[in-house]
Amino acid sequence: MSFLLRRLSFYFTAFLIAISFNFLLPRMMPGNPIDALFAAAQGKMDPAQMDAIKEMYGFMDGSFFEQYIAYIQSVFTLDLGPSVLMFPIDVTTVVGMSLPWTMFLALGSLIVALIIGVSIGTYSAYRRDGFFGQFVPPFLAFLSNFPYIVTALLLFYFFGLELELLPLAYTYDPSLAPGFSLEFIGSVAKHAILPMGSMILVGIATWVFNMRNAMINVLGEDYVTMAEAKGLSSYRVMYRYAGRNAILPVATAIAMAIGFSFAGSIMTEVVFNYQGLGNILLKGIMARDYPLIQAILLILVTAVLVANFIADLLYVWLDPRISK
Amino acid sequence: MNNSIASAPNQQSQFRQTCSTVWMKCKAFFSGNPPAIIGVSLIMVILLGALFAPILSSHNPDKRVARPHVAPNAEHILGSTRNGRDVFSQVLYGARKTLAVSLFAGIIAMSIAIAVGVTSGYMGGKVDEWMNFATNVFLVFPQLPLLIVLAAFLGQVGSMVIAVLLGFTSWPWGARVIRSQTMAIRNKEFIISAEVMGESKIRIILVEILPNLISIVFGGFLGTVIYAMGAEAALGFLGLGDATEVSWGSMLYWAQVSSSLYTGAWWEMLVPAIALALTGGALALINMSIDQVSNPKLKTGPHLKLWKKMNHETEKRRGLV
Repeated sequence: MSFLLRRLSFYFTAFLIAISFNFLLPRMMPGNPIDALFAAAQGKMDPAQMDAIKEMYGFMDGSFFEQYIAYIQSVFTLDLGPSVLMFPIDVTTVVGMSLPWTMFLALGSLIVALIIGVSIGTYSAYRRDGFFGQFVPPFLAFLSNFPYIVTALLLFYFFGLELELLPLAYTYDPSLAPGFSLEFIGSVAKHAILPMGSMILVGIATWVFNMRNAMINVLGEDYVTMAEAKGLSSYRVMYRYAGRNAILPVATAIAMAIGFSFAGSIMTEVVFNYQGLGNILLKGIMARDYPLIQAILLILVTAVLVANFIADLLYVWLDPRISK
Repeated sequence: MNNSIASAPNQQSQFRQTCSTVWMKCKAFFSGNPPAIIGVSLIMVILLGALFAPILSSHNPDKRVARPHVAPNAEHILGSTRNGRDVFSQVLYGARKTLAVSLFAGIIAMSIAIAVGVTSGYMGGKVDEWMNFATNVFLVFPQLPLLIVLAAFLGQVGSMVIAVLLGFTSWPWGARVIRSQTMAIRNKEFIISAEVMGESKIRIILVEILPNLISIVFGGFLGTVIYAMGAEAALGFLGLGDATEVSWGSMLYWAQVSSSLYTGAWWEMLVPAIALALTGGALALINMSIDQVSNPKLKTGPHLKLWKKMNHETEKRRGLV
């Protein structure tokens, strides 16, 4: 239990640092943040409205320290003010609408890549002198290290534009009403294939190599030799004896991969015009929508921290020794 | 005066010996290791292309030299962009910028990673606690979104600013790996004996510890270069870099702006994309091969032979065989 408590306190501290950084970010930037903030809205809003918004963001009055306290308060009460880009919708609402899609892309592709990668890694370690073990890992290493944006563009071109197999934009067919109908779910799945596929392709090599390297180490252990000598099936030796132990270092790598997966999702969303956080973030940047940008960075940090904590829980479940 | 003349031949023979050891090592590294051969030759081609860009390119990459979106032909081997630039010349010159940014970012990141990782791992105690905490905090921050925001706020930043930003945001992973490796060798006999002999901490770190980290540092360096290249391409594609510079990222940006894929001018988008893909893939193959040579446990089939051969060379050099 103390392990999890220690992790929790670490995540909380990290979160506080992230908030502070988030607070400082627009204030560190060249130029007056208020001017930048309202440059886009100039002429579209009347002055009274602008004054009201300024007050809402706490840019106007109070010392630096007071502003900081006010910001922290606003974060914990989820009252982040309205978006400039989509005035008068609340920033929290805008983020809330697109976060599920990004989570779906990032975590979905991570899980699929993990399952495929760990299986390939296990098998290629077990058959490391055969054709599979000799050919597949280098091939995947090559393919997986294309930059996110390039993999996305190549899939976009070949499967979307040339073959016209799959849709090129949006999270689902805009003519459908969201709901739990078969048609809607099918449309979501169809729209997710290309973006998710490109992320899986980029993510997979990490798992293949993590698993393969760990597996090769474990395969040298005596109990594996013993299991083989007993005449157990190679499936049983591979998964029950070696795989179970080799997966521990892989579990530690998950925590790191989560951050990468979210970052990758942001790139992929832009290429496939997927309506997630990445798309909104870019629009917010173009419009200098500071509240929206801050909220997105904050939600990304939170998502990564929560996902890390889940990875910790997973680790405790896999290796009970760690919780002592 | 006399001294220098006397030592000259000696130096020369020593130099020759070093050369031959390096040669033997290279030969051993490549023999029976197709991924390494493919990776290194690809990188060589790309590096040579970047180096001899002025000789190889047929046109000025910044000038309008053709009509918009000319398909690949004899005059313009890889066609022209929407703005009438020669894609072949652009991809050669773009390689310079992109590679320079990625290498520079890799050097910055690994320098910080070594400084933090080795200090943290060697010193232990409170120093380690704080440095490890900082590393972990940086590690959980989503770097790419942060980078996008920073680049956007700083306004169309030049490629060197991007390199610095990339370098300063991508060190934590390397620092973590280097720290754990330093901790692993920290209590080995040769370190302890150096301490007992009263060597200074700086000397122990530089002379005793660092040489043992070379393969990890190089692996981390290649990993960072691959990541930095992807990030540079991403920032360029989003139009957050300086679009007037010719880099693979800015080429992607212009191809996107001119919707070249939709108008059938695939070459404008696919050429820089494939250049990025090949470079990333080739670097990964090299990284993988180095990993297998430096970590004997990972050796498989041909590599086992390779390891035996290298071992034999070492023993021969030591006069054991």
